[in-house]
Amino acid sequence: MLRSLLVTGLVNGAIYALLALGFSLIFGVARIVNIAYAGLYMLAAYLVYILLNVAGLPAPAAVPLAVAATVVLGLAVYRLVIEPVREHESAVLISTIALTLIFQELVLAAFGGNFLGNPVWADGIVEVLGVTVTYQQLLSLGVVTLALGGVWLVLNRTRLGVAIRATANDREVANLMGMNVRRVELWSAALSAALAGVAGAVVAPLAVIDPLMWQAPLVNILAIVVVGGLGSLKGSLIAAFVIGYVEAATVFLLPSGSFLKGAVALTIMVGVLLLRPEGLFGVAFEEER
Amino acid sequence: MRWLRRGWRFVRGEVLVLPSRVLVLAFCLGLLALPLLTRDPYVLRVVILSCLFAIFAASWDLVSGYSGQVSLGQALYFGAGAYGSALLNHHLGWTPWVTIPAGALLATLTGALAGVPCLRLRGSYLSLATLAFPLILTGALFALPSLSGGELGLSGLAPLVRSRVGFYYVAVVTMLVSVFAMWLVGDSNTGLLFHAIREDETAARASGIDTPRYRLTAFALAGLFGGVAGGLYAHFVRVAGPSTLEVTLSFQAVIWGVFGGVATIYGPVAGVFLLYPLTELLALVPWLGEHRLLIFALVVLVILRVMPQGVAHWVRDRIERECRRCKARTVATRAACRVCGADLR
Amino acid sequence: MPSRSLHAAALVLAAAALLAAPPLARAEAKADPIKIGIVGPMAFIQGEDAWNGASLAADQLNAAGGVQVGAVKRPVLLVKVDTNEILNVGDATNALERALTRDKIDFAVGGFRSEAALAMQEVAADAKKIFIVTGASLDKMSANVVADYERYKYWFRILPPRSSDLVKASYAMLGAIAAQVKAELGVPVVKVAVLAEKAAWTEGFVKAAQANIPKMGMELVGVFQPSATATDVGPDLTAIKATGAHLVFTAVSGPMGVALGRQAGELRLPAIVFGINVEAQKETFWKSTGGKGNYVSTLNFYADVESTPKTMPFVEAFRKKFGRLPTYTASSYDAVMILAAAVTGAGSVSSDLVVPVLEKTDTIGTSSRLTFDKGHDVTFAPGHTVPLGVQWQDGQLVAFFPNGWQGITFKGVKPFVVPPEMKKK
Repeated sequence: MLRSLLVTGLVNGAIYALLALGFSLIFGVARIVNIAYAGLYMLAAYLVYILLNVAGLPAPAAVPLAVAATVVLGLAVYRLVIEPVREHESAVLISTIALTLIFQELVLAAFGGNFLGNPVWADGIVEVLGVTVTYQQLLSLGVVTLALGGVWLVLNRTRLGVAIRATANDREVANLMGMNVRRVELWSAALSAALAGVAGAVVAPLAVIDPLMWQAPLVNILAIVVVGGLGSLKGSLIAAFVIGYVEAATVFLLPSGSFLKGAVALTIMVGVLLLRPEGLFGVAFEEER
Repeated sequence: MRWLRRGWRFVRGEVLVLPSRVLVLAFCLGLLALPLLTRDPYVLRVVILSCLFAIFAASWDLVSGYSGQVSLGQALYFGAGAYGSALLNHHLGWTPWVTIPAGALLATLTGALAGVPCLRLRGSYLSLATLAFPLILTGALFALPSLSGGELGLSGLAPLVRSRVGFYYVAVVTMLVSVFAMWLVGDSNTGLLFHAIREDETAARASGIDTPRYRLTAFALAGLFGGVAGGLYAHFVRVAGPSTLEVTLSFQAVIWGVFGGVATIYGPVAGVFLLYPLTELLALVPWLGEHRLLIFALVVLVILRVMPQGVAHWVRDRIERECRRCKARTVATRAACRVCGADLR
Repeated sequence: MPSRSLHAAALVLAAAALLAAPPLARAEAKADPIKIGIVGPMAFIQGEDAWNGASLAADQLNAAGGVQVGAVKRPVLLVKVDTNEILNVGDATNALERALTRDKIDFAVGGFRSEAALAMQEVAADAKKIFIVTGASLDKMSANVVADYERYKYWFRILPPRSSDLVKASYAMLGAIAAQVKAELGVPVVKVAVLAEKAAWTEGFVKAAQANIPKMGMELVGVFQPSATATDVGPDLTAIKATGAHLVFTAVSGPMGVALGRQAGELRLPAIVFGINVEAQKETFWKSTGGKGNYVSTLNFYADVESTPKTMPFVEAFRKKFGRLPTYTASSYDAVMILAAAVTGAGSVSSDLVVPVLEKTDTIGTSSRLTFDKGHDVTFAPGHTVPLGVQWQDGQLVAFFPNGWQGITFKGVKPFVVPPEMKKK
């Protein structure tokens, strides 16, 4: 059982890491709580569904296309909805909430509330440490690792990455140093949307697609970024695995309490907040202005 | 007679001079007089629910708008009030006249408890943390189905008042009193300190203000009024279920509040009374009715582009002007301040 | 698409009813229509089928010239009441009250999400109008009728049977399947894992499992209770696989039903997945599980078997018009039909007069013989309502139960198939 727990937690955690990273990125750089991020995740899943089932494309073509479309959408959201009101923190919050509701209603109107599923493209199982793992899970793990590695490379090995990190650190100083802060923010919005797209495209085949699928991960993402420390990418990564393992442990140790896994994760979040208000790896930005 | 004359003088001197105050007066009188015009149970139902949600949205404003602790989990108080009074009514058979205040007290306590871990947080952090509380409470309620009824909630609750018109007056009067009370709090010293905490907590602290105490007060007050709304709701719909704790409801509070205009109390009330009947009106038209949530979200989005401060601020700035010298407000049609006579052009 | 045009037609009808001035409407129709509100979440299949089933009934009644009320024949007019109850419970009570006061419906039929159905039961009781449920299974609703008859007598239910009866039926099927597993695989003791969503309606199911499964000579290896809104049961299934269970006994109404079929298939779970799984009752299940839900089985009420002589004509008419198998909320067809008969019997559309006639209903419906018990639930017993057991076999939804149970065999049932995955060991 311990081995099942180890493997399941790893799969869960990796997917959560992917989801939380994009959210954390845009918050860290632009200080924007973008609820529509979860909406993009849902749209990406539906885009893959359309490309596979309606357009009849093969999976290797459908997934990149869906991710690209999500990036375009993400940029449009950023330019048309977030930027015009970004001076008002609460207006950003409800604009993105309203936008997510719009996404939900559009999808509901087009597909109805039925639970859909994408075809399984990678069918098969392997035994890892005596635990059954499906190819689909392995594939997701691989894509997640690639995406996380890619983000790490961009952030640490490119000029853009330096600019993103500098802006995240101190927007005003970055601006004074001659960086085009607005462009940096657009780039991070694109990167963040790409991560949402990858998550939606790759994770969706593991579970069910429906117009409300944005809600549950949103709560998980929030728990993760708060535990990890808002805006800290390293923190988000570690917290994602913490939450992934906590959820797996809840299911394995208390099967009849499996429904509590979300509440347990959130309780841990509150616990962390009581001990370390800035999260595990957050910077205590005491006086930011 | 003397009282009447004095009352009239007050109305003429303090209310009729400002269009916004005239609007408020007309709104209150209109609400009180509505059953004289129509007894249609559906119309009354929509207004009753608007009243309850208005209390709820205003309670959100008290903690989020004034003290700047933007709550994404306001449903916690609504749900605590609803479940609190429902549990007492369902298991102990107490009358709703007792259980609703008791539920509100429970919600106050819940508010204060939720405030404790939030004391050390601020900004977006705090918002995200508050989102968790109603979900944790939902988990706890699902774990105790014999007590809470699980996903069915507690049903068959005693009605507060049997007749629709009777409940209408209870709702309207409770709403007017609660909203006025919240407005008084917002206008009092405490409200001023809430503003100070929102603008700069460190500075407030440095000035010798016990900021944690005031932040907790804000949470507790939000709990109290949110709980009143929740308790009334439970005994109106006569079911208290997990939908009173849903993320959607928390988001609704934020939408109503920001749409109406934060840190005003009357803004969120206006937001509810504009948006809630609007969605119901849409439901009357067949095609629009099916897409009413979509239209609702689009309206919110567009309005925010045009008036990011919310409807109440926007309207008020159109019909009134603030004197630069004495900060008193005057009708936009006048050239000089009504108090100090300064030129407003 | 036929369903689209039907929607459009229905909308036009409803719009006409709303907009046309009363004298004009009277000039066109022979008599005032009998208005029946169809109550459900219209963006979801549960609401859609409630509407579809009822519209088939209304079409048939109107083609026959309407419903005889006293001396006149009155047409049936359906009013679509979108409750949006899955997304927002508050909307549901508003919608029903709007239909009662604005559209002046005479009767209401439908309802799905438990919390909303309970709240709507109160609204209908306040308005003293008949409300026939075709979607929510909780016991509490009929218990209300028994406890306070005068207030709740306007409430009836056709399908599904109350959840305690559903549990009994699923145990009858469990016994049959376990016997087959024992015989075909030669295992001495059948191991059962229970997977029930955490909900009030599954509470009796779980308790009964803990008491009955050992008594039936089987071993209970674990009880798993994910959240009713979970979309991923991967961890639960991995844990179940580790217990070596032969049978996964399910009670699932949410999205988990799809995830369950899909993930069990992907994991090559060597076990029979059987129980109540609302998603597996729909014909979309095969596609939404990507074909992975093979051999998943569930309790159901409509399939291509003759539950009653009326089943096949109804299923075929439904399939012709809407292109798929009806789900249980389509029992609104029966609801409209018995309402029409009761209105004729009472000679009035007044709910107070129709209730006593409706209570004495004894007729053959599309899924069972319909008689109402003390709680206004459909009588649940052999000879009355008998649920089906259906299994997904290579893309086909095949009925396997009742096959000789209590001497009942429906025409069209086929044998249950033990998944080949289990025989590999």
